[in-house]
Amino acid sequence: MLQKKVKKRAYLLATLLLVSILAIFFILQTLNKNILYFKSPTDIQNDQEIHSKKKIRVGGMVKKNSLEIKEQEIKFVITDFKNELMISYSGTVPNLFSEEKGVVAEGKLQDKSFFIADRILAKHDENYMPPELQSIMNNNDK
Amino acid sequence: MFKFFSLSNTFIWIEKLTKFISSIFFILLLVALSFALILSPPDYLQGDSVRIMYVHVPAAWIGLASFSTIALLSLANFIFKIKNIKLITKSIAPIGLMFTCLAIVTGAIWGQPTWGTWWAWDARITSMLVLSLFYIGFILANKLIAQEDKADRVSSLIAIFGFINVPIIKYSVDWWNTLHQPASIKLTGTSTIHSSMLMPLFLMFFVLLLYCALIFLMKYKTEIIRIKKKNLERL
Amino acid sequence: MIQNLISMNGYGIFVWSSFAITFLACGVVYYKTYKTLKKYESEFAKEINELSREQKASVIENSKIASQVISSYSKTI
Repeated sequence: MLQKKVKKRAYLLATLLLVSILAIFFILQTLNKNILYFKSPTDIQNDQEIHSKKKIRVGGMVKKNSLEIKEQEIKFVITDFKNELMISYSGTVPNLFSEEKGVVAEGKLQDKSFFIADRILAKHDENYMPPELQSIMNNNDK
Repeated sequence: MFKFFSLSNTFIWIEKLTKFISSIFFILLLVALSFALILSPPDYLQGDSVRIMYVHVPAAWIGLASFSTIALLSLANFIFKIKNIKLITKSIAPIGLMFTCLAIVTGAIWGQPTWGTWWAWDARITSMLVLSLFYIGFILANKLIAQEDKADRVSSLIAIFGFINVPIIKYSVDWWNTLHQPASIKLTGTSTIHSSMLMPLFLMFFVLLLYCALIFLMKYKTEIIRIKKKNLERL
Repeated sequence: MIQNLISMNGYGIFVWSSFAITFLACGVVYYKTYKTLKKYESEFAKEINELSREQKASVIENSKIASQVISSYSKTI
């Protein structure tokens, strides 16, 4: 019962949509590297060339017991549980920065295992709970 | 059946609905606000800044939901050319734009104490900004193009193609490394937000939805009167 | 208690400003929409009132919307 015009419009739209979805898919695929907000330590290991002059962001978990604070300088290790990267930073850190939490560091890579950051961002995870519950969970762990 | 959906019947329904919603709105708002600001617990990590979530998340949901509605209705309008649909999409768009902007602004206010930055060009935040641009495009196309047919067609196309962005927003946190955390409330599986925080979140979402309904009904009424006025001039 | 509610352990500024911005924006949009609606209503009512008596009667009889607007408009005056 559909009118011819209606059918024509539907086909036209379907083709156009399909083409543009494909186009966007390929654009996102090629831009994939640039869309990443930060690189993981594994990405850094696999990357052949190191542009030590270019500012990059790296991110991962702050490794347990790796945080060292010496006067102005803060040193810690970030990990993605496959590879690790040593980070050195001087300045103030966000409130949520702590061991075993996500972090993103902005700065320059010195070599494949050492990174000097000039900005630290804390990455929050998706868990939300009241403090009492957290202490109960910690007690259960012990 | 068709008579039930006629403009004058809709008009009377709008009056009744508006009265009902405004009678319960302020009580619900007070309850939701007291839960969001006082009764709900602070987060174990973020402390009290978690309360920003109670406006940020509902605003983002409403922004996404209204764009999806506009896109679906525009698709129907583009193919079947139903006049009434245009009234609905035109009435939804400004609310959606406002809530999308609110989600971005409150997100920035939350990001400063939590991440340590107001703004990051990560995939989630950027795609949300793109969504607001699609909203602006949709509204401007309706406002600036004088020819009604053409305005209809252009704005519908903007909404339909803009819809491709919606799944990108949803899955951006899974596909790419982003500063924004992954989704806490999943379509399947358990949510990672404790129930004492979920309750105020859904309450606030419900209250803001009622607010949207109020604005939508007023705008829809305005559009109906506009049409009737035009008909009167033709008399 | 109240001190704590305002300061929110140092997060007060962020929490209160985001709630304030949200509700301010909602309020402004509500007011603007309400204003436009009233403007159109009064224009519509005026136009009907300017019609000749027979035309006006037929419009009000045929259109529920017109009679609704007219009655709500005359109430507000």
